[in-house]
Amino acid sequence: MSPTSSPAPAGHPVAHKTDWMGAAMQKRIASRYASERRFKFMGLAAVTLSSLFLAFLLFVMVGNGAKGFITTEATLTVDMPAATGSISADQLTGPRLSATISSIDVRRIYDDAVEAQYGENGTRYFASTAWTALRSQLIANPDLLMGKADFWLPTSSDVDRAAKDRSTPEAEADYARLRQAGEVRQTFNWNFLTGSDGTDPARVGIWGALKGSLITIAVTLLLAFPVGVLAAVYLEEYATKNRLTDLIEVSINNLAAVPSIIFGLLGLAVFLQFFAMPRSAAIVGGLTLALMTMPVIVIASRNAIKAVPPSIREAAMGVGASPIQVVFHHVLPLAIPGIMTGTIIGMARALGETAPLLMIGMRAFTTTPPDSLTDPATVLPVQIFLWSDEVNRGFVEKTSAAIIVLLVFLLTMNAVAVYLRNRFETRW
Amino acid sequence: MTSTAIIFLIAGLGLITWVFARARAGKFITAGPASVHSLPSYHGWYAAMWAVVPAVIFLVVWNSIAPALGSYAVLDSPLAASLPTDPFTRAAILSEARDLSRDANLKVFNDAAVQLAPLYGEADRRYTMIGALAAFLLCFAGGAFAFTRLRPDFRARTKVERMVMLGLLLASLIAILATLGIVASLIFETIRFFNLVSPFEFLFGTNWNPSDKVVDGKATGFGAVPLFWGTVFIGAIIAMAVAIPLGLMSAVYLTQYASPGVRRWMKPILEILAGVPTVVYGYFAALTVAPALRSFAAGIGISNASSESALAAGLVMGVMIIPFVSSMADDSINAVPNSMRDGSLAMGATKSETIKQVLIPAALPGVVGGVLLAVSRAIGETMIVVMAAGLSANLTANPFASVTTVTTQIVQLLTGDTDFNSPMTLAAFALGLTLFIVTLLLNIVALQIVKRYREAYD
Repeated sequence: MSPTSSPAPAGHPVAHKTDWMGAAMQKRIASRYASERRFKFMGLAAVTLSSLFLAFLLFVMVGNGAKGFITTEATLTVDMPAATGSISADQLTGPRLSATISSIDVRRIYDDAVEAQYGENGTRYFASTAWTALRSQLIANPDLLMGKADFWLPTSSDVDRAAKDRSTPEAEADYARLRQAGEVRQTFNWNFLTGSDGTDPARVGIWGALKGSLITIAVTLLLAFPVGVLAAVYLEEYATKNRLTDLIEVSINNLAAVPSIIFGLLGLAVFLQFFAMPRSAAIVGGLTLALMTMPVIVIASRNAIKAVPPSIREAAMGVGASPIQVVFHHVLPLAIPGIMTGTIIGMARALGETAPLLMIGMRAFTTTPPDSLTDPATVLPVQIFLWSDEVNRGFVEKTSAAIIVLLVFLLTMNAVAVYLRNRFETRW
Repeated sequence: MTSTAIIFLIAGLGLITWVFARARAGKFITAGPASVHSLPSYHGWYAAMWAVVPAVIFLVVWNSIAPALGSYAVLDSPLAASLPTDPFTRAAILSEARDLSRDANLKVFNDAAVQLAPLYGEADRRYTMIGALAAFLLCFAGGAFAFTRLRPDFRARTKVERMVMLGLLLASLIAILATLGIVASLIFETIRFFNLVSPFEFLFGTNWNPSDKVVDGKATGFGAVPLFWGTVFIGAIIAMAVAIPLGLMSAVYLTQYASPGVRRWMKPILEILAGVPTVVYGYFAALTVAPALRSFAAGIGISNASSESALAAGLVMGVMIIPFVSSMADDSINAVPNSMRDGSLAMGATKSETIKQVLIPAALPGVVGGVLLAVSRAIGETMIVVMAAGLSANLTANPFASVTTVTTQIVQLLTGDTDFNSPMTLAAFALGLTLFIVTLLLNIVALQIVKRYREAYD
């Protein structure tokens, strides 16, 4: 065969030279480019749609919830000396103060003052527990007992909603009346951050649930962190390849994939039923969440330990460290940033978890924050769930406000994790 | 004395032992020329371990048997003779009495419990005291024993390290223990449930209408097919119809088209979607999405649209799963060797043709594995469906109707006072076992697919 191209043998179709500039080919290229643009646009649309959804969700929550941090208050003028009889100044000093205040029937004084100022049905303007707000203001500032003073007290939930948005016609009329008289104002709702659950949406707070969450998470951290890190150290540094090690690895991978509600069933059957631990208690919640979080910490810690180069271990061995000293004096300190990142992410997940805690009854209605590990408690996500079920429209803004608080906590934790990773991660 | 106080006291004693043992070992070095085997702090740890570990082990064992001892003490009392002999009611009264002894404000259903409560309180107090005393004795004995063994040539470090190794092993075994705990509790309660309802009726029955009624040792209304259908409908059909296209296209765009700057910002934003708590999604679905969908359904002429629809729950769940699918797809696409991509581009294919005809087919096993993992996560998801999907067990393919899922019913069956003998409680465990097995199988299959696919390109 000659090296130069020979004409096509007879009987075979002659190869056409493609007419790249021809109209048909131009059209084909154009359509291929159009399909390329379409595809790229679809990708962009998918990313945009996903992030728009996140933006929309945050927008709805902030839009609904921002008002939950604002409370409406109306003024109430109380002539304390007239209502209580004369109280001498020395009754308000030192240890006698609490006895003096508890001897006063604040509820009655409040009722009388409201009737005098707002007429017979005047209490409808105020929250049903407004008198407790009056009492706490008196305790904070006993001098008010000595004279006539104006008190700002929370309005009823209906009036509050009339002030912010829309409410029942009666409440809107009430609010207009109060406003004309200049007897109403809107302030930051400190009670929302310091109070606990209740039946009146105007007076509920999240501190009780938040404290429950913090106690539960503390238990989770204290249990899951040491166990998770130690298990990771064992599996990564000491475990020999045998049946038991395989079993441990399979268990950890399975636990990481089990739906969270199953851990709730475990907590119910094992901790509540078998060990007869108290229902609704933070310790049971913490134990359950610890089992759920431990695999996350184990997996993150193993990756962090694996990333420490062997030269560190060999150098430590070389100067005479025992195997335990190699790990605890040299490898672990270098792996700590990675372990911390994984732990914080696991804790953030535990903090947002609801379902397993519902199973073990952490939905207690408690108007006081839990004080110990065994007190009936609730946690922030469960509180959100409970409020979302309330019929009273006033709870909508409180639910969203609680969600804002929860999201702030979670985003802060995640930001700290990202910061730790960027700041301390060593690339070997 | 509360158990917290006991633990703190023992920890304090351990600390004191540590300080003294360490000081004593420190004297070995200053005192003589004899070669000292271990550093003083190892001697400290050795003694502290002897003081604390036996006492804590004893306390754990004691706390797990003390309630049973308390029950025996109560049952031996003359008051208990009048209890009904039926084991179910008897157990109910006893557990109520125990709760009452802990919390006097509790509502009581059985009057017999009121009389037994003080007995329980007294027995509990007595056994707590005995336990605390024994624990302190053990603590002192252990500490003293270890203290007498401290010598310059005593190999404290070796002993401590052996103990640390044991601790590491025990920490790893907790994972096995937790798995066993899950399997055992689910299977145990499920077997009790299957004594009341036949497995066949549970798995293939279509009538879900659970009640506490037990007639002739059989309970009815536990046909779980509508629940299984609802779970699959929401988690595997609607949610995946949202998550697969959006997640896959996001991954394709971010890995193949986006500039590094865009990628650096968009990836974390998508990951935030995975970090939002499910209760927030649930609230969003119930508050915003469901009403909007209902008015939409009414607008296109569907009259019986429910305010709790499968579509609302499925859509929101799909959005939650997007980052999951996206990151799995991302990994699989990145694992395809660059030579395949470059070859396709060199032949004159456009980027999209390369992606559609080379990259995605090559990455398909990984993507399928990721989707299976996403399905297993979606069907185990609880709060979104509890808040947005409803409770009526309908066997319908209408996305605007209300359906219920396995997880919703588990929550529903276990809410309120849980009596461990009622068929409703046991049914929740049977549903839990079903869910556990299905998610486990999905995970095993998915990981196998992903693993085999990785091997193909390694």
